[in-house]
Amino acid sequence: MTEHFLSVEQATRRFAGLVAVDQVSFALDRGEILSLIGPNGAGKTTLFNLITGQLKVSDGAIMFRNERIDALPPHARAQRGMGRTFQIAKPLTGLSTRENVMVGAFLRHRAYTDAYDRASAVLDEVGLAARAEVPAAELTLSERRRLEVARALALEPELILLDEVMAGLNATEVTQVIDLIHRLNARGVTFLVIEHNLKVVRAFSRRVIVLDHGAKIAEGSAADVLSDPEVIRAYLGKKHVGHA
Amino acid sequence: MRAPLETAGAPPSFGIQLARYAGLLALSGVPLMLLWSNPYWVNVLAYTYLFAALAAAWNIIGGFGGQFSLGHGVFFAIGSYSVARLYLDLGLTPWLGIFPAAVLATVVALLISWPTFRLRGPFFAIATMAINEACFALANYSDKLTGGPRGILIPFRAGLSNMIFIERWKYALLMFAFMIVVVLITVWLRRARLGHYLLAVRADEDAARAAGIDVLKVKLQGMALSAFLTGIGGGLFAMYVRVLDPPTLFSLPDIGVKFALISLIGGIGTIIGPVVGALLIVPLENFLRGTLGGDIPGGHLIILGAILVAASLFLKRGIVGAVLATMRRARRRA
Repeated sequence: MTEHFLSVEQATRRFAGLVAVDQVSFALDRGEILSLIGPNGAGKTTLFNLITGQLKVSDGAIMFRNERIDALPPHARAQRGMGRTFQIAKPLTGLSTRENVMVGAFLRHRAYTDAYDRASAVLDEVGLAARAEVPAAELTLSERRRLEVARALALEPELILLDEVMAGLNATEVTQVIDLIHRLNARGVTFLVIEHNLKVVRAFSRRVIVLDHGAKIAEGSAADVLSDPEVIRAYLGKKHVGHA
Repeated sequence: MRAPLETAGAPPSFGIQLARYAGLLALSGVPLMLLWSNPYWVNVLAYTYLFAALAAAWNIIGGFGGQFSLGHGVFFAIGSYSVARLYLDLGLTPWLGIFPAAVLATVVALLISWPTFRLRGPFFAIATMAINEACFALANYSDKLTGGPRGILIPFRAGLSNMIFIERWKYALLMFAFMIVVVLITVWLRRARLGHYLLAVRADEDAARAAGIDVLKVKLQGMALSAFLTGIGGGLFAMYVRVLDPPTLFSLPDIGVKFALISLIGGIGTIIGPVVGALLIVPLENFLRGTLGGDIPGGHLIILGAILVAASLFLKRGIVGAVLATMRRARRRA
């Protein structure tokens, strides 16, 4: 077996009778941007949760940087270099925007001033510097999404998992986030991205995985996958196949 | 345009953050300076400062950590009994005795917390309250350690090394100093990694885990610090009242729940809230007990309960939270 940065091997997650993720396997190499797409309820977020540890696999294995991690709790996976965002943004209420990011920065910087400076740099990067002292609960939707990214970024992760960070953003904001992903990727950060907007997927992802009903139904280059009849059927229904 | 105003470059220093509270802390000492010769008021103030410190200690895990413990009476009682036993049996001065007492309170707190921290929200509160009641029963039966229902009497032998004073204002000063120490610790905590982690855990445990936080470990660390300080407070209380019996130490309205009540009214999860709450509640309670006590036994509890209900309806973040929100609104308008 070749060594991959992240490899998911036959990952399965059952909830009582329902199989939410069904023997999914894929690998991710360092420096890649891999997109995970699929219709609602396909199991994308569940698969994310299996990788980051919010949920445990029922079967299968997950390897990260040559270590089996599927039994580790989520905080231990974060400590090993995984950052994630949540589909429904989770601003830490009761803390300012800066303090939210400092919570992430404290993972690698114990001292207050170091964590503070690190948080300032990250806030600059995601365009939230002007909102640093505002209570996080007062941020707008698009700011909350950027805060999710900022808190993940502050962990100085090698792998970032983004769960629909573009949803609800306008065209300018989407461009800003794509630019941010490219900038970080150029610095060596690997990305696994759940994204609904296929135009966005084409813009930054060379490789795409498609989930449907918990199973992987396609994998390949963005262009190939997005013209695959089975993918079109999963997204749009049977009668559209052939028109695409 | 607010953008350039809000982005200060350098992080605020510990001294600057401390200075924000120094004025209020100094102000809270003024009544003692004015009333030091009045025995009634000095007694009220000693309790006020002690409960300000104890509420601030509770606030570490109850406010910052969001773990609504109603079992802090246990750690308080352990501190009290341990200081008394060490003093009476081994002749250890309470000035030193408070430390092993606090360590013991911490160990018990960790043993209790290890299983109960798996419970969330009201279930944790109920479990810790039940543990308080169980320990009450246990203290009643443990004649040799606690003197059972009769309690322990510490004889009056005045002397600095005994922490027993003829002049009551010395006790009030001691409690004041303790309050300052606990507030200093909370100011430090609010800056420290642990403080940020406790607040993150309170806000959202899943988000905290994703940020690399070991949630159970952080809760235990917060509880350890909180219980340690509560144990010290219990020891100081022991040397002040010198009569220790289970109904007093394990009383929910007078001890365990009161720490939470003072924090809630003053401003839960804020640094100065417990002090503000204690300055208001303890003298008020004494006044109500004095005026209502004879005619309507327990009447003061009804009124305190009504205040708590009103505070939780109209002042969700307590008095300090309401003041801070008003200040922020005013600044934004300016």
